[in-house]
This record gives sequence, structure tokens and C-alpha cells, in this order.
Amino acid sequence: MKTNWWVRFSVLLVFIAISVIVLLPTVLKFDENGSYPVKSKINLGLDLQGGLYMILGIDFKKVYRDEVQTYSRKIESYLKDKEILISIGAIDASDVNDPKQTLTFNKMSDKETGKAEIKKTFGNSIRFTQDEGDKIQIALASTVKTNIEEQSVGKSIEVIRNRIDEFGVTEPEIIAQGEDRIVVQLPGVRDIERAKELIGKTAKLEFKIVNDTVTPATLQSWLEKAKSAGVVYKKGERFSDYIKKMNELLVADIPAGHELAFEKSNAPNADESMNIPFVIESTPRITGDDLADARVQIDPQKNQPYVSMEFKTAGAKRFEETTGANIGKRMAVVLDGNVYSAPQIQGKIAGGNAQITLGGGANFNKTMREARDLALVLRAGALPVQLDFLEQRTVGPNLGNDSIHKAKIASIIGCALVFLFALVYYKFSGVIAIVTLLLNVLFNVAILVAIDATLTLPGIAGIALTVGMAVDTNIIIFEKIRDEIRKGISNMKSFEMGYDSALWTILDAHITQAAAGFCLLNFGTGPIRGFAITLLIGIAVTVYTAYYVSKILFELYMEKTDAKELSI
Amino acid sequence: MIELIKHGTTIDFMGKRKIVMTFSLIITLLSLYGIVYKMNYGVDFRGGAEIQTKFEKEVHLDDLRDALNKGGFHGTSVQTIGEPKENEVLIKVQADEGSLNLITENLTKALHTSFVDNKIEVRKVDIVGPKAGSELRTSAVKAMFWAILSIMVYMAIRFDFRYAPGVMVSLTHDIVIVAGVLAFVGSEFSLQTVAALLAIIGYSVNDTVIVYDRIREHEEKGEHSKDLRTHINDAVNDTLSRTILTSAATLLVSASMYFFGGAAIKDFFLAMSIGIIFGTYSSVYVAASTTLFIDEMSKKSKNTNAQKITA
Repeated sequence: MKTNWWVRFSVLLVFIAISVIVLLPTVLKFDENGSYPVKSKINLGLDLQGGLYMILGIDFKKVYRDEVQTYSRKIESYLKDKEILISIGAIDASDVNDPKQTLTFNKMSDKETGKAEIKKTFGNSIRFTQDEGDKIQIALASTVKTNIEEQSVGKSIEVIRNRIDEFGVTEPEIIAQGEDRIVVQLPGVRDIERAKELIGKTAKLEFKIVNDTVTPATLQSWLEKAKSAGVVYKKGERFSDYIKKMNELLVADIPAGHELAFEKSNAPNADESMNIPFVIESTPRITGDDLADARVQIDPQKNQPYVSMEFKTAGAKRFEETTGANIGKRMAVVLDGNVYSAPQIQGKIAGGNAQITLGGGANFNKTMREARDLALVLRAGALPVQLDFLEQRTVGPNLGNDSIHKAKIASIIGCALVFLFALVYYKFSGVIAIVTLLLNVLFNVAILVAIDATLTLPGIAGIALTVGMAVDTNIIIFEKIRDEIRKGISNMKSFEMGYDSALWTILDAHITQAAAGFCLLNFGTGPIRGFAITLLIGIAVTVYTAYYVSKILFELYMEKTDAKELSI
Repeated sequence: MIELIKHGTTIDFMGKRKIVMTFSLIITLLSLYGIVYKMNYGVDFRGGAEIQTKFEKEVHLDDLRDALNKGGFHGTSVQTIGEPKENEVLIKVQADEGSLNLITENLTKALHTSFVDNKIEVRKVDIVGPKAGSELRTSAVKAMFWAILSIMVYMAIRFDFRYAPGVMVSLTHDIVIVAGVLAFVGSEFSLQTVAALLAIIGYSVNDTVIVYDRIREHEEKGEHSKDLRTHINDAVNDTLSRTILTSAATLLVSASMYFFGGAAIKDFFLAMSIGIIFGTYSSVYVAASTTLFIDEMSKKSKNTNAQKITA
């Protein structure tokens, strides 16, 4: 044999050896912590091992609204230090992409100095949109909005990752998709509902003062009014949408700068009439950003879990100020828009501690779990924005096993049929084709493991399909060789010419096919991507095995038989 | 050697192209009708929820429907999937964005109250919001467009400009017909179907390239007295055996996956199998016929131009 052949043959052997080394842990189910140098096992996709796949979207309109309110509070507190008092008025969200907030100066004479002060400190973040009498109106500067758009996704991913890490999922995948999407993949997660709850909870914590000048009778009349106007909470609807509708309807009744919120009843079979209404300030005094820590504790008297929170220095200071200035009033603890509790402020609270009590009446374990999850999300931080579930796909663990089992059997049947066909039609050359097809599968799976790709159900389909299509390359070559033999050319020469003329045909066919594969890769997420990846790897491997490897084997065959016979 | 197609077979493929092209046109139009009026879009594109549930004991679909109605679900449809003895049911629910979030919880609750003595396992849930659904639709069309365009460009560079439109026509022909057949059969159009269509594009172009390659070979080596029509006929006859063998081999795999691969990949391989059949047919007929048509048209216009000049 020529040295050139030996080189090519050695390269092939090296490839086979590497593939076997890479695949051993997967095939023999090695222990992850064993002494074997190659750790990688094949990653099974969500559809095979079960788990949760979600696409979350960001609602920027709501973010802008919150942000404008936060700035109003900051301005109020900043001007107070300069001894200028203002009151925060209603928010005008008629243009949802550019909400505006009205600020009223208590003394007309302060206005110009106040405006100058605001401009000096907040000039980069906000802009004035209206200026009339003692009122000014502010909105976000466009740079702030761009910043929000650019950072929300990144920050949300960070928060979700923190939460998931505490939840304990192996190999979660949390990635951005486009400018306002986040894809979360949690393979192997069992408690899907809880995972969803943890990820989706905005965990926006706010402390707001309750406006008790509105009498319970008035509140009751508002609720009646809403009911007769057809605004009722429908089962399955999002509670926040219901609250929003209520506030829109009652906008003329509710004092400016305030909103209606509810403490949801915890009683079993509770309906909306059992929720307690509150009129609270629209703009929070202290928020979750001011938290330093959150822990679960148990009230020994009531034997009930609660979440105790500790504020950061600045937050603690503001908490002290706020409580000091509002003695006798009630302070609502609002989480994601719902009032959790609204204790009366007995006196100035220093030291920076607060607590959230959770549903009385429910059983202890349930409350305990709820408290633990709440403390977790508060610790991990609030999501900077509210995330909406756009797509959710969950697969139970048993389905995956069934799928693998069936797909495996079907793949084996399909491949066996192809092998049988090659053997019958091409005889000994068919054996060469079968060897190259087997090597094709070996290399394919080895590459999947090596590049840490994920094997999905369509991925298995892709490998099976690759075998079906790879045999095509063998067929092209064999048919070309047959053509030459028919012309009466010698076996050796026919073999050489067949391979030579087939090369570009095969390359052209596979490159165009790969083009379709790349488009598939770009289009798909999750399982579809898995299919595209196996298909693309399959195309590359096919060119090598079905063309180059089969040539090596053929040369050996021609050498051993002195090219006297050619079973094709 | 075993020969499926006797060597030296000379079927006049191009001679019958008018009949065959009419046939193709009719099927394509029928398919387009099916796609527009009959297509059964899955949850991926329509939005909504699909819940695959397995019951321990047999459950009647009518009872299930009643249970769902009692649970306050509307616009639901239920169907058994897989083997009847496995008691697996696919429940489809239409709902707006708000209530989609809680659908798994509410549905399991409803099922548990109605089927107290039956163990229920939720095996798979797909929830797609309406916004995501319409976006997926756009990106599916985009992916196919780019696939065909990039293939056309490669063909124009590697082969001849005359070949590129043929590829486009035959690929479009294939995916329209596959989608059309699926529409008439009532199979659901899902993300997997899109993946199958793209795989079919890959498969069909592979097939077409082989034929084109042979036409080019004949044109380069062949006598100049022969016209493109003869070259195409020769090329198609030469490659006929390979074309049929390859399709058969791929179909063997695709069909086994369809019959034995389980419910999860059944739809994918149904599309794939139809695609293989039409992909083979189109690479023999549609692609080459289009190339010949373009060639004849350009010659005709050249001739009229020449006549104009002499006149």
C-alpha cells in the first residue's frame, strides 16, 4: 500500500479512537466524579428528560410609568432638603410610551428655583413637558428610555439566574432573544408550577401610605359603581388587569396621586367581594431596592411564618423619616401591586426592619413554603420589569423516556432496512457502504457530545435521516463506477474515475443542503435547533465518511483482490 | 450487478413535460387552496394551549368534554393520541393571554375533581401566547425564504444563471405541495412541520443538484449538435437509477420513523415522507423543465432580436 494511504488510514483510526473515548462515559454511564479524563455525557434536551421551557417578554410601557413615578419621589425628597415643598399629582399615561407626571409647587414663589434645582440634578434623566401656573409636568428623557431598553433584559436575566441558583437546577439556560425577550430553559425540573411562580414573580416590593380620608362607605360605593359598570374579576383573569380597569374607571373619584389596591383574601373559596380595598399613594416611599436582606421567621405566639426584612442604610433612613412623619396613619406593604398588610404606624421606627405576614388560616406547611419562596425572591432582587409569559412548554419526565425508547427502535429499524438494501443491491461494495454509515453515526454522536450540544427528539430524527441521505453519496459514487465499468474500462481505472468525477457533485449537493440547514438553525429554538445542529453535523460527517473513508476502504479492497474482481 | 433501471434506458422525459407541468400546476393550485382554506394550524402558530394528558384508566372523550365545560373552559377540543390502550388525550384550549398563565393549574384542578378515581398525568404542556404565535409564523416564512434564496445564489454562482430559477420553482413547488397535502389530510401545522419543510428543501435541492450536475457535464463534454433538451433527457436517464435508489433509501428511514417512532415525531415524518416523494419527482421534472423553458424563451427572444436587426 502507498504511504499516502497509510496516512489517511491512520487519520481515520485516530478519529475513531477519539470518538470512542468521547462516547465511553455516555455509553457506559460513568460516574460524573470518576477518574476518567473525559467528563462529558450527552446532554438530553427538554423533550427527552422533561423540564420547562419559557419565553418571557418585557412590557416596556409599564416600566416607563414606574420609572417616571420613581423620579417624582426622588425629586420630592431632593427638593425637601432644599426646603422646597411640592406635591405629586396624577400621572398622565395617555401616550403609553411616554407617561407624564404632574408636580405642584406648594408655594408659587418656589417654582423657578425649584425648576432650576431639578434641572441641575435630574436634567439628564427627565424633561419638562408642561409648565402652567404652579404646576409642572415631567417625563423621561430619551436617554433614560434607551438605557432601560438596553438594560432590562440583562438585569432580568441576572435576577432570574439568582433565583434559579437558589432553587437548584442543574444546567439552566437563561438567554436573551432579541431586545425584549428572555428564553429560560430548565431541564429536569420536576416542580414546574413552583419554578414558574419563582421566575415570573416580579417581587416588586413597595411601602405606601394609606389614605384614610376616604371612608369605608365611599369605598363601598366605588365598588358598587364598578360592579354596575361591569368591571368584575373573572376567574382565570390576571388580577393586575382587574385592578388596572378599576382604577381607570374610578379615576375621577380617587384623589389625585392615589390609587385603589386590594388585600386579597386568603380564605378558601374566596371571591372578589372578600378582598379588602385600600386607597394608597401611587408613588412608593420605599421599595425593594432598599432591602439588604430578607429571612423567614416564625411568630412564636401565632405559630405563623413571616418574612422579616432588613433595609440598607439609605432605605432605613427613609423608613425612619416616613414613619416619623406619618404617625397614626397606616402604611401598606405592597407586593406586585397587592396589599399584604397595612399596619398602623405607632411611632417613628428606627433600625430599619419591617416584616410581611402571610395568609392566616392556610395550613402551616403551605404558608411556610410561600414564606420561603417570598424571602428568596426578595433576596435575589426584584425583576426590573414585569415579565409576561409568551410561550411555555413543559414536558413531564415519563414522556421523554417513552419518546427515546420509540425513536431508538424506529431508528434501528430504519437503518437496518437501509443496510439490507445496500447489501442486496451493491453486494460487497454495499458492505463498505454499511461500514461508512456506521462510522457516520459514531462520528455524529461523538461530535454532539464533544461540542456539548443537546440531543433532542428531532435531533435523533436528524441522525436517522442523515443515514438515509448519506447512503446517497455511496449510491452516486457506485453508480458512477458502474457507468465506467459498462464502458469496458478496467476495474482500477473505473474506481478512480468514479471517485474523481463524483467529488464535485457530492460537494455541490451538500453545500446547498447545508444552506437550508443554516436557515433552520437561525429559525429555530429548542428542539428545532437540535434538529438543525444534527443535520449540519451530519452533512459534514457524510462528506468525510461516505466519500473519503469509503475511498480508503475501497483502495484496500482493490489492493487485496488485485483489482481483479469488483463486487458492485 | 442488480439494475433497477436498465442501463441505456432512454425515456423522453422532456417530451412529456407539457402534460406533467400541467399536472404539477393543478396540484400546486389545489395545495394553495388547501393551505389557505383548510390548514389546521397548531398551537405554535395560532396561540392557545395544548395539554397532553395520560389517564390511568380508560376515559370517554364525551365525559372529558363535560368535565372541561364544567371547569369553565370554552373552545376546547379533545382527541386521543397514540395507541388507544395508552389512554392518552390531547386537550386543546383557546384562551386569552391573561388566563393562559394559569391554564395548567386550572385544568388539572378541573380534571381531578371530575375524575376522582382516575390517576392523571400531565405529560406535556405547550402554551403559546397570541403575540408569540404570529411572530413564529413570520419567522417560519422568513426562514424558508432565506433558505431558497441562498440556494439560488449558490446555484447561479456554481452552475449557470439559467439553473437558479429552476431550483427556486422546484423547491417552492415541493413545500407548497407538502403543506397542501398536510392541509387536506388534516395533519396539524406546527413548528415541527416547518422544520420538516426546511429539511425537505435540503433534501430536494440535493436531488436537483445531482441532475443539474449531470446536465452540465453533458453540456461540457457533449457534442454541440445536441440541444439542451437532449442533454436534459440524457442526464435524467443517467441519474434515474440513483434518484430512485436514494429516494427509496431515505423513504425507508422516514417511513420506519413514521410508523414506529411514536406520536411525538409522527407529523414530522409524515411531512418528510411526502416531501421525499415530491422532491424526487420535482428534481426530475420541475427543475429541469423550468430550465429548459427559460432557455427556450431566451433563445426565442434572441432570435426575434436578431430578426429585428436583419430586418
